[in-house]
Amino acid sequence: MEKMSLEQLKALKEQSDMEVNLLQDSLNNIRTATVRLEMASNALHDLSLRPQGKKMLVPLTASLYVPGTLDDADKVLVDVGTGYFIEKTMPEGKDYCERKINLLKSNYDQLIEVASKKKSIADEAGVMLQTKLRQVAPTT
Amino acid sequence: MRIRCQMIQNHGLAGSYKTFWVRTQPNSPRPRVFSLFAYKTKVLLCSSRSALLTVCRSMASSSSLSAVSERRGIPGASFVEDVQSYLTQLGLDVNSALAFLQERLQQYKLVEMKLLAQQRDLQAKIPDIEKCLDIVATLQDKKGAGEALIADFEVSEGIYSRARIEECDYVCLWLGANVMLEYPCEEAVALLQNNLENARASLEVLVGDLQFLRDQVTITQVTIARVYNWDVHQRRSRQAAAAIKES
Repeated sequence: MEKMSLEQLKALKEQSDMEVNLLQDSLNNIRTATVRLEMASNALHDLSLRPQGKKMLVPLTASLYVPGTLDDADKVLVDVGTGYFIEKTMPEGKDYCERKINLLKSNYDQLIEVASKKKSIADEAGVMLQTKLRQVAPTT
Repeated sequence: MRIRCQMIQNHGLAGSYKTFWVRTQPNSPRPRVFSLFAYKTKVLLCSSRSALLTVCRSMASSSSLSAVSERRGIPGASFVEDVQSYLTQLGLDVNSALAFLQERLQQYKLVEMKLLAQQRDLQAKIPDIEKCLDIVATLQDKKGAGEALIADFEVSEGIYSRARIEECDYVCLWLGANVMLEYPCEEAVALLQNNLENARASLEVLVGDLQFLRDQVTITQVTIARVYNWDVHQRRSRQAAAAIKES
């Protein structure tokens, strides 16, 4: 990196900063998705404790609830994306949630590694830029 | 010549307004303002102030009430015919008048953001209420049939479970603020209809408010430009008078 000129260093730093920001955004997204999945997993667990035929208020929309009974707590529908829903039994549903959480966690770890590497490159470029600027400034 | 463009866009009927700051001579101390004004489908390059004035006047008169009125708490901007008399009426010099107008502009922008946020909320609420109405109507239809309804409901995001809804005369509506009330079906329908109509009416009023606000913003910006121009003109004439005195 010492051989690069001032403009190249500046360009490199800007590019690295942009990449670091993008990676941070992705990391945040993964974190929120993981939190939501964990909530879903808890809800499933709770549901499995309820007996069939238990009276409950069924939410039909966000603000409308109708009294009813829990039908078959052993069957759940999981949303696998792009409008597809798969019917699974309760243990399968729990397993699906667990697997998804683990997948997201491994992605998260990989991304953290890449992000830290990029960040160190960006920092190094910044330091080089400072030293070069200081070298150029006294001579002018 | 250096041109610095600031585009202020209004959507809808109020039109769009572009201000160009242009140095008329290379060494002139302050630039004059020319205005490119697009009103509905017509584009007028108003380097002559008279043309811009006529358009603004028509806009000011077409806004809901008289030009100096306010609408639901938003102060109206009055169109300035003569800058000199405006300044003497306010009792301010040019800089403080400009500052006052700029502040007004900021206030308008704030109110606009608030109204836009309210509009977004309402636009989200209305389809929800319509859905609730549909469901209650379906429930009422099913009542005579005598069989229970099997429904899938959301347990959490991405997880749905099945429930069975027996015949029931009442539904529970979430009214917000941790309050849920039980209503018989007919009353629920009436309440939801009422809510829907209120929401639609407030949305219309909101859209009207936004329109009014945009008109006032444009009038204020034109006033700023005119006060600025007048000031430049004054300085020029003073400089010319001083130059003549010296020679």
